[in-house]
Amino acid sequence: MRVHGVERGVSRAGRPTSLFHIEMSQRYRHTAGFADPFYRGIDQGVLRATRCDGCGAAWFPPRPFCPVDLAETAWYDLPGTGTVTAATRVHIPPPFGGVEAPYLLASIRLDGVEGGITHRVLGDRIPEKGTVVAVKFMEGVPAHPLLRAAFEIEGRAA
Amino acid sequence: MNGPTRRRDAGDRVFVVGVGMTPFAGFRDDATVRDMVVEAARSALIDAGAGAAAVDMGVAAYESDHFNRQMSLGHVLHEAVGLVGKPAVRVEGGGATGALAIRTAVMALGSGAARSVLVFGGEANGRSVDRSTASEILAMSADFEWETPVFGTFAAPYALMITEHMRRYGTTPEQFAAVAVKNRRMALDNPYAHKGMSITVDDVLASRPLSDPYRLLDASLLSDGAAAVLLATGDWAERHASTFGDRPPVAVLGTGSATDHPRLSDRPDDMFPHFAAKRRAAEQAYRSAGLDDPADEIDVAEVYDSFSGAELQAYEDLGLCPVGKGGPAAAEGRFDLGGQTPVNTSGGLLGRGSAVGATGIAQAVEIVAQLRGEAAGPRAVPDARIGITDTHAGVGALSVVNVFGRAA
Ligand SMILES: [Zn+2]
Repeated sequence: MRVHGVERGVSRAGRPTSLFHIEMSQRYRHTAGFADPFYRGIDQGVLRATRCDGCGAAWFPPRPFCPVDLAETAWYDLPGTGTVTAATRVHIPPPFGGVEAPYLLASIRLDGVEGGITHRVLGDRIPEKGTVVAVKFMEGVPAHPLLRAAFEIEGRAA
Repeated sequence: MNGPTRRRDAGDRVFVVGVGMTPFAGFRDDATVRDMVVEAARSALIDAGAGAAAVDMGVAAYESDHFNRQMSLGHVLHEAVGLVGKPAVRVEGGGATGALAIRTAVMALGSGAARSVLVFGGEANGRSVDRSTASEILAMSADFEWETPVFGTFAAPYALMITEHMRRYGTTPEQFAAVAVKNRRMALDNPYAHKGMSITVDDVLASRPLSDPYRLLDASLLSDGAAAVLLATGDWAERHASTFGDRPPVAVLGTGSATDHPRLSDRPDDMFPHFAAKRRAAEQAYRSAGLDDPADEIDVAEVYDSFSGAELQAYEDLGLCPVGKGGPAAAEGRFDLGGQTPVNTSGGLLGRGSAVGATGIAQAVEIVAQLRGEAAGPRAVPDARIGITDTHAGVGALSVVNVFGRAA
C-alpha cells in the first residue's frame, strides 16, 4: 500500500476535507482447482464435462460429486456443439482483455450435457435463438485460459 | 413450498419504529462509509426517539471489502453506531444485502433473541474508487471461474435476459426506456437522490451502447450512501421509542427469500427471461403477509431496477402484472404516479442510486415514508397502506421481498 499524496480542499457540501490518494495492489496464484481437467482439455482441443456413473446425470460446468447419490463424478468429452438461447453485442471489453470490443456473447445450451455456458461467439452479427454453434480453439496464448475457446456459428437448428 | 404460512398476530408484530438515511451521491468526499452509516443510524434513532443503549442487537449490511477498504467492517460499524457490547451480525447478499439484513432482524425478533434491532448498511460504490479498479471489483460479482473471463459488465447477462423477453413477448427498447425516464423523473423530487434527470425515451435510445439492447441510460447508478432502520416489537416500542404513538405505526407484514442458479446459462429454458427466485420470494412474502391479490392490494413498491428492463421483468415476477405484459404496462404508465401501483417513487437505483449495502434499507425508508404519509411533493402516494421492497443479487441469484403495512 502507498499514499501518493494528500489533497486538501472544500467538499461538495462545503466542508473542509482531506483526500488521501491511496494505491493497493493484489496478486494471486489462482488454481483451476477441481476444473483442472477442463483447462487441460481446452489446451488439447476438447470441451469436457462431468457425469455420475450411478444415475447418469451430467453437468457443465463440471461438479466433483453427484448431489443425489454422493458418488464422485467422471470426466468425459463433449461434442463441442450447442444452441444459442440468447445473444448480445457487448461494447465493453472483458476484464482480462484479449478480446476487442464490441464482441458477441451468447448463452449457449451445450449438446451432450444438462447445462450451458455464457461465452464468446465469433463474427459480427448477433445470432438468434436456435442458432447452432460449435467450439473453436484459438491459437496463441489467450488473455485468460477460458478464452482459448470461442464459438463459431454453424447455422440454424433443423 | 417452505416458509411461514400464517398471518402475524398483533402481539408478535414487528414495527419499523425509526428510519434514516444519508443522501446518495456520486462521491461523498467528506465522509467515510463509517461516517455515513453513523449519520444514517443517528437519524433512525432520532426518528424513533430511542437511544442506542436501549437497543438489543445490531445487524450490519454491506457487500464489499474491496469497495469499503475495511475487512470485518460489521463490528467496526456496530461500535461506531453505539452498540458495543450487544450481539452483532453482518449480512451479505449482493444487491439484496440491505433487504436481507432487514429480514434477518425480523427473524431475530420473531425468535425472541431480541426485542429491538438496529439495521444499518452502507457502501462506498461511488467515485472514490477509480474507474478501472471499480470495473475489476464489479467483474468479480459474476462467477469468477466461469463468467468473469468472458464478461466484465453486468449489462451483458441482463441484456441476454431481456433479449429473450423481447423475442418471446414483443417487449421493446422504448418500453424499458420509459422506466429509465420515469425513475429519473421521480428522483428529481427526492432530496436524497443521487441524480434526478428530466430526459426522454429518445435520450435513452441515443445514449452510448453497453450491451445490446442496453444503453448507458438504461443502467443504474453506483453511489456512496448509507441507510438504517430500527425494528422492534410493539411492547419495546411503547416503552423505549418516544415517537411511536405520534404517527401511524408501520409494521413488517411479511418477508420472503429464495435463490436461483447464479449463472444465467444454468437456468432452464422456460424461465430464462424471468427471475424465478423473485417469484418464489414474493409468493412467500405475500403468503406471510396474508396478501391474496398483490396487484390490487399493494399501493406502492420499491423495485430492483439495476437495469431499466429488469424493472418491467420484476412487475411480472412480483405478480403486479401478468407475465409478458411488463413492457406495455410500463409504457402505459401503470406503475407511474397515479397508476395502479406507483413503483420507485424514490427514483430507484436508476435515479436515487445504489450504495449496495444500503439499497434495500433505503427502499424500506421510502416505503415507510409513503405509508406514514411523510413523502413530500409530487411523489407522495395518497393513502398508501401496503408497500413492498424488492432486491436481488447478481441477475436474480438471491431475492428478498419485504412487505410493510400501515397498522392503523
Ligand atoms: Zn448420481
